[in-house]
Formats: sequence, structure tokens, C-alpha cells
Amino acid sequence: MINPAYNKNILIFLLSSIGLIALPHAYHLPLPVFGFFAVLLVWRFLGVWQPQRLPKGLLLLLVSVGGLALLYSQHSGILGRDAGTSLFLIALGLKLMEIKSERDLYLVNYLAFIVAASQFLYEQSILMAAYILFVCCVLFATLVFINSYVANTRVALKKASVIIAQAIPMAIAIFILFPRVEAPRWLLFNQQQQAKTGLSDSMEPGSISDLGLSDELVFRVKFTGAIPPPQLRYWRGPVLSQTDGKRWTQAKDLSYQQRAKATFSGTVYQYTLLMEPQDKNWVFALELPAALPKTLRQNAVLQLLSVDALNQRTEYSLSSYAQYNTGASTPQEIQQAKQLPATPSYKMKQLVRQLGGFDSTPEVFIGQLLTHFRQQDFHYTLTPPLMENNPVETFLFETRYGFCSHYASAFVTLMRVANIPARVVTGYQGGELNAVGDFLEIKQAQAHAWAEVWLDKQGWIRVDPTAAIAPERIEKNIDINQLLPGGAIHYVAPSSEAQAAFNWLQKTRQLWGNVDYSWQRWVINYNNANQSHFLSSFGIEDFKDMVYWMGAIIAVIVATLSGFLLYQKPTTVDHTLIVYKRFLKKLAKAGFNQGVGEGARDFAERIKPKLPTHAPSIEEITEAYLQQRYGVKASAVGLQHLKTLVNHFKI
Amino acid sequence: MTLKERFGLDRFLLGERTVDGQPLVLNQRRIFILPTQRGLGFVFLIVILMLIAFVYNNNLAYMLAFLLGSVFFITILHTYKSLAGLTVQPGQSTAVFAGDSAAFKLIIANPTAVERQHLQLSLKTTSSFHLNAHNKAHISLPEHTHTRGWHTIGTVTLSSRYPLGLFRAWSPIRFNTKVLVYPKPVSQHIPFPETGVSQGLQGSFKKGGDEFYGLQDYQAGDPIRQVYWKAYAKGLGLFSKQYGNENTAEIWLDFNHAPGHSLEERLSYVCRWVIDAEQAGLRYGFILPGLRLEPSNGQAHYRQCLEALAVF
Repeated sequence: MINPAYNKNILIFLLSSIGLIALPHAYHLPLPVFGFFAVLLVWRFLGVWQPQRLPKGLLLLLVSVGGLALLYSQHSGILGRDAGTSLFLIALGLKLMEIKSERDLYLVNYLAFIVAASQFLYEQSILMAAYILFVCCVLFATLVFINSYVANTRVALKKASVIIAQAIPMAIAIFILFPRVEAPRWLLFNQQQQAKTGLSDSMEPGSISDLGLSDELVFRVKFTGAIPPPQLRYWRGPVLSQTDGKRWTQAKDLSYQQRAKATFSGTVYQYTLLMEPQDKNWVFALELPAALPKTLRQNAVLQLLSVDALNQRTEYSLSSYAQYNTGASTPQEIQQAKQLPATPSYKMKQLVRQLGGFDSTPEVFIGQLLTHFRQQDFHYTLTPPLMENNPVETFLFETRYGFCSHYASAFVTLMRVANIPARVVTGYQGGELNAVGDFLEIKQAQAHAWAEVWLDKQGWIRVDPTAAIAPERIEKNIDINQLLPGGAIHYVAPSSEAQAAFNWLQKTRQLWGNVDYSWQRWVINYNNANQSHFLSSFGIEDFKDMVYWMGAIIAVIVATLSGFLLYQKPTTVDHTLIVYKRFLKKLAKAGFNQGVGEGARDFAERIKPKLPTHAPSIEEITEAYLQQRYGVKASAVGLQHLKTLVNHFKI
Repeated sequence: MTLKERFGLDRFLLGERTVDGQPLVLNQRRIFILPTQRGLGFVFLIVILMLIAFVYNNNLAYMLAFLLGSVFFITILHTYKSLAGLTVQPGQSTAVFAGDSAAFKLIIANPTAVERQHLQLSLKTTSSFHLNAHNKAHISLPEHTHTRGWHTIGTVTLSSRYPLGLFRAWSPIRFNTKVLVYPKPVSQHIPFPETGVSQGLQGSFKKGGDEFYGLQDYQAGDPIRQVYWKAYAKGLGLFSKQYGNENTAEIWLDFNHAPGHSLEERLSYVCRWVIDAEQAGLRYGFILPGLRLEPSNGQAHYRQCLEALAVF
């Protein structure tokens, strides 16, 4: 057979699969590195038809040095995810230039598998996994190709697919049972590039003229019991109590002042929160969380923070109560919640007075103010006019167009003018119920701002002024898919759950969302803790059990596959021949052997003269045998007859 | 088979001794499997993938490593399957003169419904082939011969690395098949011994007369101008035109009259005589110490003489 390294079909196959395996890196790696690789790949492709064009000797050395220099200039080292990936990619590219033997083909193939694994360091979606699985199939097909005497693309691809399909059950069993050990921290090269920008730690409503709505997922929540109604789905984030009139920021000191414990009553909601990677360590719990896992802590303004960075998907089990009393506050906190940038203007005081801010109880004033928002000409919009100077007053008295931040900041300012402690709370509100997986998906678009007012004995009370002006915003979700820039805001109709059955698109999206949720939860996020929790539900408690079970399951799979693969149909048994052979055996004992290639009839004719007494029975048996074996009248009776004849035949 | 025999290294390296001429079925007892160098490289690859998965705590990289690991395991079965069920049977092997390559013929049959993509049969040289379901392949394995006598076929190895080349399944097979090797005839034509040969025939043995009396299977050593090319062109095989003299003379080819110093050299001369005499269509008698064959000619006589020389 000719050297497979010069077989055009094999090379084209291998190079195509390498192109496929490297393709997604175009989005991940620095352009010069990927460009360098692409040039090498194209060069090698041309080399399939014109091998004399491939670099040799000095040129090859220069190309290699160029590759190394490029690597050094881009990453200055080989440690870390990007640098390591670039290293393997460039090594693969350079090795392509030098395919001389079957061994080189294998080396290139193995390097391609490493590059395939490096794709997962950047993206772990189902689609990526399916893509890599497909490319692995092509890589294995290349190996089949190399090892076939007659190369055939279809046969090679089929064989590779069959092998992979048979390998998957075992791979899953090992995946579930293989003990996960967390890598020591110094070994972790995890970079924070996966994190997404979420809520900001400040708010400046006057300077925003177009609130971008993103469909990007922030977190998912799966409830073990009842799901809270939409108007209770407030996911608490940073609390902003410091303002300069335009900009709201967190209080400088959020340290863990000794404050009274909150008391809870009413319905308890138990849920699991699956946070997508974030660049901040904020965890958005349902107001108000009671029981916390150890990896979380709560700051002075009742916001949850994770101890570790949230640069990968993390899961928390929490429970929250809808009714709560935050308990006594500290003087600093109250002081902070009354802070105003300057003495309020006459107009503001006039408005507060008009609404009973100075002479009635806080509850009455709050009610009056919300009524004011509702009855006066206030509008909810995502594209408000810019309010550069004194945004609160401009909003209240002139433009009257704004979104949640405008309402929350105006509300809190008016409360403070009336000497009632108040602060802005940011976070997320709502969440889309995935009917398939029965969990809530909270997206960037559901970012929200509301207010908290301090009432004696009741503690901090949530007031959402946006609900007064646009209750739909609270009870329904903004339908991002229908939202046009500058256009009217559509809300998902309340009967959406009924309509969903008819809405194919919606259903598909939810189904996909559910699949993705399960994927994230059970595959990507299957770590040490998850594993021991999952396995202990089967009674697998320790390392030893895991190894035993793994061995047992692999054995079962191998046994099943062996049976399936190695079972060969028994060759059809020719009963006639067996009986005839018994006859031959009897003759052989008497010293008469059928010659090689001698037919039954010839044999009979040859021995009949030597055994005159047996001649008739020999004749009869031979005829019966020929009739039964080659004749048209073969039957079970005929076989039985032959058997009887042979049994009675004695020498 | 006793346990000791079953685990004998001999069986692993040389294969089991087999019954003469019977087809041999390759089964789990005769097929061995070990990873190849590429297979070990593949294990190293899996280790690297596991390391990447561990360092980056990446479950999908783990999954890929486990998938490759499973593929590695499953390839054992597939490689085994590429040999299992085949039957091997020795074919008819023809005798040769020392110095020529003896072709050991083997018939590899595939009675199963599985197509065999790539098989390798090796003795001194390796021959690769492909075998369809319910099909047979006749493979000749050439082996160079140096000495006359009976040559036993060595251990023939049937192997396959299909599908991925990570494992090699092989089955060493020993057959009792023998090939007879005649002495190497001396290259130059020499005159026949004087005994009982009329002088007048001395010159005509080369021509072999000019009366055509029939065709005969081509024999190594037949003059090329006697080859019946028309039949060959029709694909009927190689035949030699045979010419003879009506009044064929008798000669005696006596070992004792052969020139040469050593036994082998003298046997080579006698061998040359036998070939030439048969070609000339003479009736020749044959004398070796302890053996005397009455003058005759034809293939059977010719073979008998050469065999006697080979085993002398």
C-alpha cells in the first residue's frame, strides 16, 4: 500500500476536519494567531496538489521561528488558557507542514483532539458540544481511512459514527461516576472573561435616553414548592442610598454593622438559584432571604454577596419569606437614608406639603404620592428625554416621562424631603416562567429599581412607584421580542400561559430554555458537591463505592457490546450432511475412505465391488442422501428415512 | 488443551500447531490483541485531556477525555472482530528449484457477513488485502529458498489494525504444509553422460526434434520460443509446444558420472541433465546411489527424478 501521508483523499479529509476543529477559535484567539494558523492550513491544502510548494529546510525554520515569535508577542508565555490554546493551535499548524509518514498523520490527529478540548474552555453550550462531537467523528473517520485497504469515505464515516455511538453510554457512566477533585487554586488559570456586565453599582437616570434591553440571561430559579406571584418577584441587588442629586451610589460603609435580626412570617419559598457568570459577586435573592448557604453572606443593607468570585456558573439553595420585618435599624443607617445633596427647592417642598408630607403619617403621604403619580400626566417609557440638570425636579415638573429609575429616585427624594428615611433598591423584577422546566428565567431586561421606606416598628418597607404608573411592568414581563426602538412598549399578555400552547415559537423557546437549563445544571455544573449529592441518592457514598460502581457499569456495557458486536450467526446446519458423515465414519472404520474431491456416487461405485454384501444398502443410502441433499423432493420424512438407513447400516 | 499449554509463550509467539490441511477457524483462542504504539500515544492524549479538564475544572473536556477513553476500549472489540470468524487453509504449493522463491499459498475465507476492510498476512513479506463478506482470498507468500529438501512453512501471521490503528489483533498460525525444493541446476548446459547414449543424439537434445506432438503445461526452464503464446493471449495459461523425435533414444543419467567435487555440485549437474533430457523428449533412466529408475519420460517420471534429487 502506498504511504498514507501522500494519499490525497486522506489529506483532504484530515485537513478539512482540522479546519472545522479550529474554526470557532476565530472568535476566541487574537487575530494574528488565528490568521497565522489559517495561512498554514491553506498552504498545506495547496500542498496536497502541489507538494513542491510546501516549505522545506530554511523556509520551514523561518516559518517555525515566526510562529514562536508571534506566540511570544501575543501572550508572552505559554501559561494560561489563551496562551496554551494558541500554543497548541500554532503547533498543529506547523506540524501540518511536515506530514511525511503515517506517524505524522496520527500526531496531527491527536493534536487536533487537544484543540477540540480547548474549544470547551471558551464555550460550553450544547451546540458547541454537538459541533465538537461531529468533528471528533470526522477525526476518527480519518483514522479509519488511514487503516482501510480500500479507502471509502462513506464507510469510514459510518464506522467512526458507530464507534462513537457505542462509546457514548460508557463515557456518560464514567462522567457521572468519575471522582471529581477540585484542582488546587494555584493551578487554576481561570480568567474572568466569561463574566458578563450586569447591574451597575450606581444609577444616573437623567443621563440615559435609551435604556437598552438585553435578552441575556442573568440567573434561573427553580422553586421546590410554590412559585411566588409576579408582584412578589423582587430580586434584591445593590441598595443605593447616597445621592448627589444626579447620581445614586451605594453607601460608603456597607460593613457588617451589628443590626437586629430580621423576623419572618407568611409563606416560605424554597428555591435553587443558578447564577450565570458575573463580574460582580452579587447574588440576587428573592426578598427577603432567611436561610443562607455558607458560601454567601449578607451585608448591612440585606444584599447577598458570594464569598468567591462569580466567574463561573454557581448554584445556591435559598429560602425566602414574602412577609418580613427587617428589625431595628442603626442611627447611621437612618441618617444615611435622609441624606440630600442640597436644601430642597421651594417647588419640591410645595409638592410634598400638597401631598401631606409634613403633617400626615408616612403611610398617608406614600399613598398620596403614588396617587399623584397615577393621576397626573406621568408616563412610563424606555426612551426618556435627557435630564442633565437637576433631573429629579425636571422629571417631576417638566418632562414626566421616565422608567423605573426615574420614579424610584424621584420617590426617594420626595420622601427624604418629608424627612422620612428612604433609599433606592436595585435588582431584578419578575422573571419569565419556563412552563416546560417549571423554573423562572431572569434576563438583563428585567433589571429594575424600586424604593424602600423606613417605617417605625415595620422596618424597611418596599414601595415600588413604577407599579403605580405602569402596573403592567410589575405584573407582566416586557416582551423584548416585540419591542421596537422608540416605539410603544408591549407587555406579554396576562393570559400568556394559556396562549403559549398555541404559540409555537414561545413553546420552542421554552423547551430550548429548559434543555439549556438542564444542560447547565447537570453537565456543565456537575462538580464535586453536585456529584456526591446526586450519587448519595443511589446509595453511593464514598470513593470506593464510586470505583466499584464504575467498574461494574463499564463491565456491563462492555459485556452487552461484546455480545452485540461479536455474535455471529451460526452457519446453517445441514442435517443431511451430518447423517451422511456418520455413514462415512462407519465405512472409514472398515478402512474405506472417501477420497478428496470424490463424489458420493463415485465413492459408492468404487467400494461396492469390495463390499458385495453391503452393496444394496450402500446404494440405497447414497441415493437417499443425494435425493435429500440435492434433489427436489427433500423432506423431513426423507431425512428420517436416511437416518434409519444409516443407523441400520453395519459393517 | 491443558492450562499450561494454554498460557505457554510458545502459543503466543508461534501459534498452535494445526491439523494438516484442515481449515482453521480464528476464534478467541487464537486471536491475540495488544495496543500498538499509536494506541499508547492515544492513551497519552487522553491523559493530557484529563489534565486540561482537571486544571480548568471543565466538565466538557472531561467528557471528551472519557469519550476517547471509551472509544479506546471499544476499539478492542472492533479490532478483534476484524479477525474473528475467518478461516485459514493451506493451498496447493508447487515445488521449486533452490534459489527461486517458493510460494506458500493460503486460502483465507470469510464465511461471515462482516466485510473485512484491511487484513495483513505476513511470512517474510507482508501482503495486505481486503475481504468481502462470504468471500475467499488466495494469497501466495513468497519465501526465498537456498537449500534443497522439504521446506516447512514458518509461522504465518494474519493481523489487522482496523478500524483505528490503536490495537493490533493477530493470530500466529503454523501449518504442516511443506514445499519441496529441488537442487539448483547448474546454469550451463552440459553434455549427457556417455553411458548408453548413442553419439548421434548428442547434438539433437537441445532441439528436441522438430515433430510437434502436443502442448504441455509450461515448466520453469522451457525454452521461451516453445511457449504457445496464442493460448496465453487468450488467457488460457502458459503452455509449451512439445516436439519430439519418433525414434527417441534412451540415456542413463547416472549420479556416479556427474562432474563436480561436492555432493551438492554433483546433484546440481544431475538436475540439469534431468531438465534437459525431459525437455529434449528423451527417454531417460535415472541412477542415484540406492535408487534406480528405468528409462521413461513425461511429467510423472520427471517429478520422481527431481524429488529423489531433492531428498537425497
